[in-house]
Amino acid sequence: MDLKQLRKNAAADFKARGFPTTKEELWRFTDVSELAEREFSNDWAPASVDFQPLGKHVLVFENGKLSREKSCIDNLPHGVCMGSIMDLVDPRVGRLADAQSAFVAANTAYFSDGAFIELTEGIELAEPIHLVYLADADGSAFHLRNLISCGKGSSVAVVEEYIGRSDPSDRSYWTNAVTEIFAADDSSVDHYKIQRESKTAYHFQTLEAQLGANAVFCNHSIALGSGLGRNDIRGKLTGEGGEAICNGLYLLNGKQHFDTHLFMDHAVPKCKSHELYKGILDQKARAVFCGRILVQQDAQQTDAIQSNKNLLLSRAAKIHSLPQLEIYADDVKCTHGATIGQLDDVALYYLQTRGIDPVRGRAMLTYAFANEVLDEVKCKPVKTRIEALVYEWLEKVSA
Amino acid sequence: MALLDIQDLHANVAGNKILKGINLTINPGEVHAIMGPNGSGKSTLSNVLAGNEVYEKTQGEIHFDGQNLDDLAAHERACAGLFLAFQYPVEIPGISNMYFLKSAVNAVRKYRGEEQLDAMDFLDLVEEKKKIVKIRDDLLERAVNSGFSGGEKKRNEIFQMAMLEPKLGILDETDSGLDIDALRIVSDGVNALRSPDRGFLVITHYQRLLDYIVPDFVHVMIHGQIVKSGGKELALELEHDGYAFWAGEEGP
Ligand SMILES: Nc1ncnc2c1ncn2[C@@H]1O[C@H](COP(=O)(O)OP(=O)(O)OP(=O)(O)O)[C@@H](O)[C@H]1O
Ligand SMILES: [Mg+2]
Repeated sequence: MDLKQLRKNAAADFKARGFPTTKEELWRFTDVSELAEREFSNDWAPASVDFQPLGKHVLVFENGKLSREKSCIDNLPHGVCMGSIMDLVDPRVGRLADAQSAFVAANTAYFSDGAFIELTEGIELAEPIHLVYLADADGSAFHLRNLISCGKGSSVAVVEEYIGRSDPSDRSYWTNAVTEIFAADDSSVDHYKIQRESKTAYHFQTLEAQLGANAVFCNHSIALGSGLGRNDIRGKLTGEGGEAICNGLYLLNGKQHFDTHLFMDHAVPKCKSHELYKGILDQKARAVFCGRILVQQDAQQTDAIQSNKNLLLSRAAKIHSLPQLEIYADDVKCTHGATIGQLDDVALYYLQTRGIDPVRGRAMLTYAFANEVLDEVKCKPVKTRIEALVYEWLEKVSA
Repeated sequence: MALLDIQDLHANVAGNKILKGINLTINPGEVHAIMGPNGSGKSTLSNVLAGNEVYEKTQGEIHFDGQNLDDLAAHERACAGLFLAFQYPVEIPGISNMYFLKSAVNAVRKYRGEEQLDAMDFLDLVEEKKKIVKIRDDLLERAVNSGFSGGEKKRNEIFQMAMLEPKLGILDETDSGLDIDALRIVSDGVNALRSPDRGFLVITHYQRLLDYIVPDFVHVMIHGQIVKSGGKELALELEHDGYAFWAGEEGP
């Protein structure tokens, strides 16, 4: 099917099914009726949002459109192709993200820009590729479509950073992104997502990754922004020896609602998937974590670990944690677990006996809680950036 | 002026009366030892002094370095120079020992109106204190007490004490869990910190520690009271006779 037809079908599909309701199992705890009732325009305006590039390979999307002035796509080594998906339309668009949800359908039907990245066989890119999405157009919807294709034995780090205005603004827009990642045999894909949209924005993303034999996909998702948001992360292990690591951290306060739906599909033997998600919730924040691991009948010797740990800093904060294992193979090593807790009073006392005041002590312990996820971030500049964001968030929370 | 002055201290834990009228005065430069059977209230006393809110002081007065301890929260007591080496040091995953120490040192310095140490000065201080209490570098890099052996935890407590240079060091069974060599190193460290204006309260079950850290006074605590005080010979007596005599006299 050509892309034109695909998009036509998706538009019809979206019209027919409409937005999901809380009656649907996958949307039980995330109510998008407020979003469904809103009207969004597609008028374009420049964005006045600051960003700092992480390295020298940068694509900047400004209110949903690629900005050639702000981007930097020179000095790419041979074998790496990067640009707007509109210029480099690829027959693989829609191959992974198809009819999963109304959000994917709307994206397929209406996407107006996004990143295309392709590495040919054996290419290793040393510096990360930074995809920056700046948004501040009140009342607009941004359907962004990204496609990342990593050839056999290639290696790359890609950072998606979604940035809104940090000042308290009433800018309400809707980011609806879809990213499809093809990791061929023996490739290594480090994928990071930093979501710091405006606190009044809607942010939805579906990430689909398909891994070949011995491919390593390492995904870190940090969410601090948006009023109502959701990540759907779906990994498919299709070649023996594949390894998927999906870690995440959500830091929420006010009335933020953030939902993470992870789905890991073990289709073949000898694959590994490890997931560590941590959440820190203050005030009346709400979080949903649903992690589903499917181990198909053929997927013997699967090693799957999933863990979701939450720290509630306020009585009014709430988390719905739903780990799910579905195992049809018999020789597997699978564990999952979820915890919900408060700061450790004994540890706080210990810090106090060393002169550290309780406000700072709480911040230190909260940071320590998040640290387990940050420790896993291998790309140095990304790690530095995330650490700074976590610090900044903690300072605001403890102030 | 006494460094620590405790008058008729009563304290409860979880509604139970544990301390029942403690009187104790420690002057600058003195080392006091407290011995006593399990459950007699020694750690309760050290926690009340350190400001643990789980322990409820119901009666009495405590003055530390001229200040009423009631007026100071736990972290202020630490900043004012009171240090407790825990019987059971707390593990804090996710915070490196070095970062923890730097935060503590700078918090104390800030309280005392001293300048904050930058990374270089702090490392110099660590090197200096490592000469007093030998501690392995990898323990400093690891998360606070996380996965430390019992002895390593105790040594880390004394290292922290050396870093924070308190006026009063309370050592709650620092010797339990230490091997023979470690006991000597830790004791040497404590002795190196002894000075005319610093006091120590050493809680222990064993005479052996007091061979190394020679106390000026020894107190026997039973059922939440100090039933006998004396010089260092008292520890030898206890080693020989046990607590039965006083315990019998007091009744459980
Ligand atoms: N947090 C607490 N909650 C309940 N009971 C407590 C608590 N802390 C202490 N206690 C009780 O208070 C009593 C005194 O305990 P404490 O730890 O002070 O004894 P100790 O003299 O230090 O004993 P040991 O020599 O075994 O260390 C014990 O009966 C103990 O069970
Ligand atoms: Mg004790």
